[in-house]
Amino acid sequence: MRSVKGKEWYQADEVAQEYDSKRFSKGGRLIDRREKEAVLAALGPVEDKNILEIACGTGRFTVMLAQEGANVVGLDISRAMMVQGREKARRAGVADRIEFLRGDAARLPFPDDHFDAVFAMRFFHLADTPAKFLAEMARVSKQQVFFDTFNDGSLRVAYNWLLPMGSRLYSEGDVRRLLGDAGLDLADAKHDFVIPFGFYRKVPNGIAQPFRSLDLAVGDSPVGDDLASVSYWNARVESADEPSRAATRASDAE
Amino acid sequence: MKESLMDILCDPLDKSELELEVDERDGDEILEGRLIGTVTGEVYPIEDGIPNLLPPDMRD
Repeated sequence: MRSVKGKEWYQADEVAQEYDSKRFSKGGRLIDRREKEAVLAALGPVEDKNILEIACGTGRFTVMLAQEGANVVGLDISRAMMVQGREKARRAGVADRIEFLRGDAARLPFPDDHFDAVFAMRFFHLADTPAKFLAEMARVSKQQVFFDTFNDGSLRVAYNWLLPMGSRLYSEGDVRRLLGDAGLDLADAKHDFVIPFGFYRKVPNGIAQPFRSLDLAVGDSPVGDDLASVSYWNARVESADEPSRAATRASDAE
Repeated sequence: MKESLMDILCDPLDKSELELEVDERDGDEILEGRLIGTVTGEVYPIEDGIPNLLPPDMRD
């Protein structure tokens, strides 16, 4: 789970302290709201569910899910990011429903089939070995795996200069192959944001809103899915009684 | 981390059991200590309440 901007950058205290205000103020608020809706729609109702969030960062989703009554474990490589997350959890009064820990997404410190749902947001575009990560997420989930990807073939490609260098873009075929190899069945896919994230982040909310309305209008049109820059993938773990599912997956993952 | 997290945590290297050693706690909350792989012998520190389960090759 190495950030292409560099592990050191991501784990620096001052970067973590400013992370939320830099990324999710201005037009970024729209992204934040949309992503939270996507997570809740896919995972909800979450009350009393055991949920694992991979690459939880400053705990945007971790805290939201705990507020909805879930028990959440947030895993990340950055201690600095999770210190921010813990603060956020305390302010929201849900610290007792959340555990933060440092770990490697490719070697999770949990037993097979433990969580009701495992999810990762804004992670797979930074993932150097996506097959390995997805197989590991599937291993520790007994029901559901949810994640997003940035798409190739979308307008986002025209905005490559806004992406962290080396970001990985996925086609629908790429994702379907990854799911199949990880022993996951695609239950639902949603496609969104014709205009790329980088644009929203740079403009004030008042300007972002009209663009977002236009964005949704195009997104709902027949060509919308082909132009979408973000996709949300909601997958189910294949029936657990298949023989040596985990063993097969582990040996397949590169 | 809460002590109850021990029910689910395992060694990231081989998923075997971990043993908890506590240096400082606040009620149910473990603030400082370590988790030790019962098979691998690997030591995973708990620092200011956040356990570090990064495998040795990924630590700074």
